Amino acid sequence: MTVKVLYFGRLKELSGTSEEIVEVWDGALIEDLFARCSTARPELSKFRTSLVAARNREFAAWNTPLSAGDEVGFLPPVSGG
Amino acid sequence: MRAARSEDRIEITRAVIPNAEIAAQVRTDGDGAVATFDGCVRNHSHGRATLYLEYEAYEAMALAKMQEIAAYIHANYAIRKIAIVHRLGRLEIGETSVFIAVSAAHRAAAFDACRYAIDTLKKTVPIWKKEFFADGAVWVDGELPPVPAETPAAKPASN
Repeated sequence: MTVKVLYFGRLKELSGTSEEIVEVWDGALIEDLFARCSTARPELSKFRTSLVAARNREFAAWNTPLSAGDEVGFLPPVSGG
Repeated sequence: MRAARSEDRIEITRAVIPNAEIAAQVRTDGDGAVATFDGCVRNHSHGRATLYLEYEAYEAMALAKMQEIAAYIHANYAIRKIAIVHRLGRLEIGETSVFIAVSAAHRAAAFDACRYAIDTLKKTVPIWKKEFFADGAVWVDGELPPVPAETPAAKPASN
C-alpha cells in the first residue's frame, strides 16, 4: 500500500521535498514508515527523537498502524505565534 | 474533532492581519470586555539583530487545531466570541504574525481565554518560523506537541 508523507520546516529542507508517496507493507506502523523514509535519507534518522508524527491531521503515536492512502506528517517542534 | 462556532473567526492568511477589524468583529453590546493579543515580529533574538521572519504551516491541520482551541475555550470559559488569525510567509519587523481577540461579559474570562489561546497555539498548532539574520537563518526552536500515548492495540497481546 502507499501513503502520503509530508515534511515541514527543517525536515522539508533536509528532505528536499515537501511531500512524497511512499510504499509500505500492510500493517506497517508510523515508525516503520519513518524508518523507510530515513533509509532514503539517512540524515532524517537523527531527528527521530525531536519530531512528532501526525496521521490524517491528528497527532499520532509512533506505533499507530497505517492504512492505505493515509497522510502522515513529520513535524519538528512547533514555533508559531 | 470539535469545531469552532460559526461566529468565530479562525483563519490562516498570507495578507496583513486587520487587527482593528478583528477586534471590532468579536464585540457585541452584551460584552463588557474584549481582550486581544497581538503577536508581532521582534527585531532581535538571543542578542542578534533579526532582519525578518518566514512562517510556514501544515495548513489544513493548523486550521483544525486552531478550531479545536476555539471550541475548547467556548466549553471552558464564559466568553462570547473568539478570533484567532495567523499569518504565513515573509513578515517584516513590527508586523503582526498572530492576532487573537476574545469578547466576554466580564474581563476575567476574556483575559484568561486569550492567554489560553496563545499559549496553546504555541504548543500545539503546526506552524513554524525561521529567523533571518545578517549572517544566516535558523528555524526557531519550538515546542514538541503532546502526542497520544502508544496504543495498546498495536502491541503484542500479553497474558
